[in-house]
Amino acid sequence: MAGLSPSERRLQKELMSLVKEPPPGVTVDSDVIERNLLQWLINMDGASGTLYEGENFQLQFKFSNKYPFDSPEVTFVGPNIPVHPHVYSNGHICLSILTDDWSPALSVQAVCLSIVSMLSSCKEKKRPPDNAFYVKTCNKNPKKTKWWYHDDSV
Amino acid sequence: MGDEQESEPVIGTGNQDELIMQQQRQIEREISESTALVGELEPIVSLNSEYSNDNVYLEKIKDLSSKYKHIRRTRPDGNCFFRAFTYAMIEQMLENSNELEQFIKLIECSKMGLLRLGFPEFTVDDFYETFMDVLKRVRDIKNVNDAKKELHTLFNEQGYSDYMVVYLRLLTSGHLQRDQEFYSCFIEGGRTVVDFCHQEVEPMYKESDHIHIMAACAALETGVRVVYMDRGSSKSNIEHDLPEGTAPSVHLLYRPGHYDILYL
Repeated sequence: MAGLSPSERRLQKELMSLVKEPPPGVTVDSDVIERNLLQWLINMDGASGTLYEGENFQLQFKFSNKYPFDSPEVTFVGPNIPVHPHVYSNGHICLSILTDDWSPALSVQAVCLSIVSMLSSCKEKKRPPDNAFYVKTCNKNPKKTKWWYHDDSV
Repeated sequence: MGDEQESEPVIGTGNQDELIMQQQRQIEREISESTALVGELEPIVSLNSEYSNDNVYLEKIKDLSSKYKHIRRTRPDGNCFFRAFTYAMIEQMLENSNELEQFIKLIECSKMGLLRLGFPEFTVDDFYETFMDVLKRVRDIKNVNDAKKELHTLFNEQGYSDYMVVYLRLLTSGHLQRDQEFYSCFIEGGRTVVDFCHQEVEPMYKESDHIHIMAACAALETGVRVVYMDRGSSKSNIEHDLPEGTAPSVHLLYRPGHYDILYL
């Protein structure tokens, strides 16, 4: 793996692991990702037995060269953004491990698992109450939002 | 997890947030630029300059200098306990090759312990390997002073230093989780030990409390003396040995929000 930066080496390992043991409903096209390890597209299926059964989503992960010390920038992209109280219609996700509670011991896999579980536990499909205002005023990068987590366990 | 908890950006999102965060980043950068990750040895009285008109502190610095000769400052970035503790411990073991060999064995075994707790191998590996790499590099230098210099150089390179910090954070988290029944009584706010580890121990830049220190000491099988220096009314500084009754191998100075290394 000569020529790869430490971030890329780590991402390469993560990619291999994600291809080998993907969380349920999660798929990646590793050939595409290997061309640019700093930006991934991940497909996620709504789990059966949940409100999102039958739906497909796309997640975009962007990594800086400080990964894994810096958290990845994770957003839903594409035609179908899940309607969920923690997901804004522009694809931004309010999830504490993506900012305050990020740790270098976490991984793409751990983030995917958290998002799958966040979707699966949803009881009512609706947008966050301040969706319209937020989407109009926020920065393109969700990491630049000062999130307020009402519950740390999310 | 999830739907029943409301979460939303703080009121006044958008530009104001960005300004706050920009300012925060600016402050962080200034701190980074002005303090080395781990500084040089300085006499205790060098603290005086920070408190030139503050008699409470000047009195306490006098007390401190009656017991300690030197201080080594660390960067106040929230990782200071972990960085100071690891540095001071390894530095001291450079004088005693048996202790260092034993410590290397302890670290060698520690990775399995983390994997057994469910930490994924590909995230643990990088940090473990860097930690071992540093230990072996300083061990292989025969001259103690040269070894200390190398340790100092490595700890001031973010690429090594932060990896060391993460690995000790993971070991501390591992120890807390293994012994959760005991530690659960020290955690407030109805959080589980596992939640606490994910939110307060594993993330970088989160500050350390008593509970972190206790668990870090237990994980590395050593003791630390923390000397508390604050505006309290007593003339002398209060000392705490952790775990209680253990002879300390490392001495740290605590001022509200920050740890530095002390030398007898």
